[in-house]
Amino acid sequence: MALLEVTDLHKNFDQLQVLKGISFSLEKGQTLSIIGPSGGGKTTLLRCLNFLEMPSAGRIAINDDGGSHVLFDGSAGRELKAAQIRENRLHFGLVFQSFNLFPQYTALQNVSLAPRLRAKGKEDRKAQLRAIEEKSVELLRRVGLGDKLDYYPHQLSGGQQQRVAIARALALTPDVLFFDEPTSALDPELTGEVLNVIRQLARENMTMVVVTHEMGFAQAVSDQVLFIDGGVIVEQGPPEQVLGAPTEERTRQFLRGFGKG
Amino acid sequence: MKKILALLLALSMVFALCACGGSSEPAADTADDAAEAPADDAAAESDLAYVQGKGSLIVGITDFAPMDYKDANGEWIGFDADMAKAFAESLGVSVEFIEIDWDNKILELDSKSIDAVWNGMTLTDEVLNSMECSNPYCKNAQVVVVKAEVADQYQGVESLSELAFAVEAGSAGESAVKDLGLEDYTAVPTQADALMNVAAGTADACVIDLLMAGAMIGEGTSYDQLTYTVSLTEENYGVGFRKGSDLAAAFNEFYAAAFAEGTVEEIATVYGVQESIVAE
Amino acid sequence: MFQTVVMSLNEGFVKSLEIFALTLLGAIPLGLIMSFGSMSSFKPLSGFVRTVVWIFRGSPLMIQLLLIYYAPGMLGYNIWGTGSSGRFAAAMAAFILNYACYFSEIFRGGIESIPRGQKEAGQVLGMTGTQIFFKVTLLQVIKRIVPPMGNEIITLVKDTSLVRVISVYEVMWNGQAFIKSSGLIWPLFFTAVYYLAFNGLLTILFGWLEKKLDYFKV
Repeated sequence: MALLEVTDLHKNFDQLQVLKGISFSLEKGQTLSIIGPSGGGKTTLLRCLNFLEMPSAGRIAINDDGGSHVLFDGSAGRELKAAQIRENRLHFGLVFQSFNLFPQYTALQNVSLAPRLRAKGKEDRKAQLRAIEEKSVELLRRVGLGDKLDYYPHQLSGGQQQRVAIARALALTPDVLFFDEPTSALDPELTGEVLNVIRQLARENMTMVVVTHEMGFAQAVSDQVLFIDGGVIVEQGPPEQVLGAPTEERTRQFLRGFGKG
Repeated sequence: MKKILALLLALSMVFALCACGGSSEPAADTADDAAEAPADDAAAESDLAYVQGKGSLIVGITDFAPMDYKDANGEWIGFDADMAKAFAESLGVSVEFIEIDWDNKILELDSKSIDAVWNGMTLTDEVLNSMECSNPYCKNAQVVVVKAEVADQYQGVESLSELAFAVEAGSAGESAVKDLGLEDYTAVPTQADALMNVAAGTADACVIDLLMAGAMIGEGTSYDQLTYTVSLTEENYGVGFRKGSDLAAAFNEFYAAAFAEGTVEEIATVYGVQESIVAE
Repeated sequence: MFQTVVMSLNEGFVKSLEIFALTLLGAIPLGLIMSFGSMSSFKPLSGFVRTVVWIFRGSPLMIQLLLIYYAPGMLGYNIWGTGSSGRFAAAMAAFILNYACYFSEIFRGGIESIPRGQKEAGQVLGMTGTQIFFKVTLLQVIKRIVPPMGNEIITLVKDTSLVRVISVYEVMWNGQAFIKSSGLIWPLFFTAVYYLAFNGLLTILFGWLEKKLDYFKV
């Protein structure tokens, strides 16, 4: 069974239909890239999957080691409670285009804050906090920032900030990690270090969904590519097919803009 | 109102003529004194010469019926205002009224932003010490104001001890309350505030000037639910000038003459205070 | 004489400080609650709060003092009694309401100036709304509002002199009393020294606080 199953997801903002029925599934350990023109619904899709926006209809389910969890079912016809939404979110991590690090905390504190808050009121809190500390340091080492633990965000470059954000998103061990155009806000010479971290995560079999405009990167790292435009999936398949030999005219047109196809 | 004004104008003209005709001798003397003064002392020493030199007498007042208040045309009238106009005319200067913060009257005088305080001012020791005051021209009393519905319970001094009072800070009313040994009183900024406290029930009673009580409370006023009962200390009103000023003597002379001629009584009758005026 | 004056002014200034401290104690939490009210998506609530803010910011504090103290009694429901404690209570009610309105607008501006991404970053990490407010937003808001709050608080120190209109005796009343009682004018002017000294202290305090929060950028 696929780890993540998204079925016929819709999102309307008043009269405006932004998502018109998105369905896809993702196997554990796979990387999915989502490409497409701006305003096509990519970011809205990520925001719906993380419940920053509430989907209007459709179904989101996760099948992990603990069994099958329906996170959202539009046909159930009842609103999710805040606590339920928080539980749902723990299955996912999200890396934002604009990093959104907490400016008043160091790199290490940014990573450890959420796990520390979850350890509150637990019996073995002290031991947990020690473990959280160790894990956070380990995560920052993995993204190459073992020497910047006590730096504040404004003391770090954009690429370094985004790497802290990735470590922060990994701290709660999500089933799926989402990236929303993770390099769009970076100077070109800084994108490499962030993409390398994502490549490394792919090698380590992290399950990931990456919204990106970096076509070369998408080709190299993805197991599957979605081309989304106008709120629907126009084309989907392995990267060689979608990026190398697209069957749809709209995909070809879009890729021409990137000097490919 | 216009008629009253016209009458007043006429009165003051008659008065001025009288002053010129009837008492030409003293007037000449005063002029001589003024002329001699610079020779003896420094010119700045004579306040009279200073006022005559600039051609106007600036009188510090508050809006305090029936002594100083505005008519329908915005003109200052009242017993004090009219007397001040007459006095200025006798000095051959124009008069100018300025509303002052009553608390700052000494400051106003000393800084020469006004030349006289002429506003139903009670001659207390403090006032006598810090200003050159005229002889008393009017007598007044401090009266206790309460709500009309309870007035019959508070007709004697001994009944006052159970009341919470509001009095104008530093006023004769405050002294009166203190002298009676009443402990439950609050000093408030003005007599108008004191009345407002009684009306709002935040004080049971206040002590204000009889003259003001006559004008501001009872039927036909905005405080028709209030009335006055016990009369406390009697007191005198005087005009205040700068410490050491020769204007006080000039006023006393002017007032004695005007009183003798009946002018003072005429003006007082216009404002209903004829019972209160006094001459030494 | 100097000693008598200073003793009396000290006594008055203690009252000024009481008003100052109690106003902050009441107006900061109330202002925070009001700022949430004015940001509420429930229109009647935000409309109500914004109307209250308009009234209290739009009219002079002195009128508010007079109205709050005198109006109930004149309408037949004297809630303040006849003692000095009632006067003080009325003064505090006026000051706390007035300053809560000013503070609520500063808080609202501060909260709304925090990028939405901060809240969302907390949300996707599974934090509760309360955790996000206290652990993520609050310190950033504080950093942003220190300068405008410094301004308001210094104004508050000077505004305490207004309570004299309903006969709460603070330092300026006591200073002015010497004009009437002893013909002394300098005590009134001397009260300025008290305001200057205290505001100097506050200026240093706010400078220190700004420096303390300088370790991060928002």
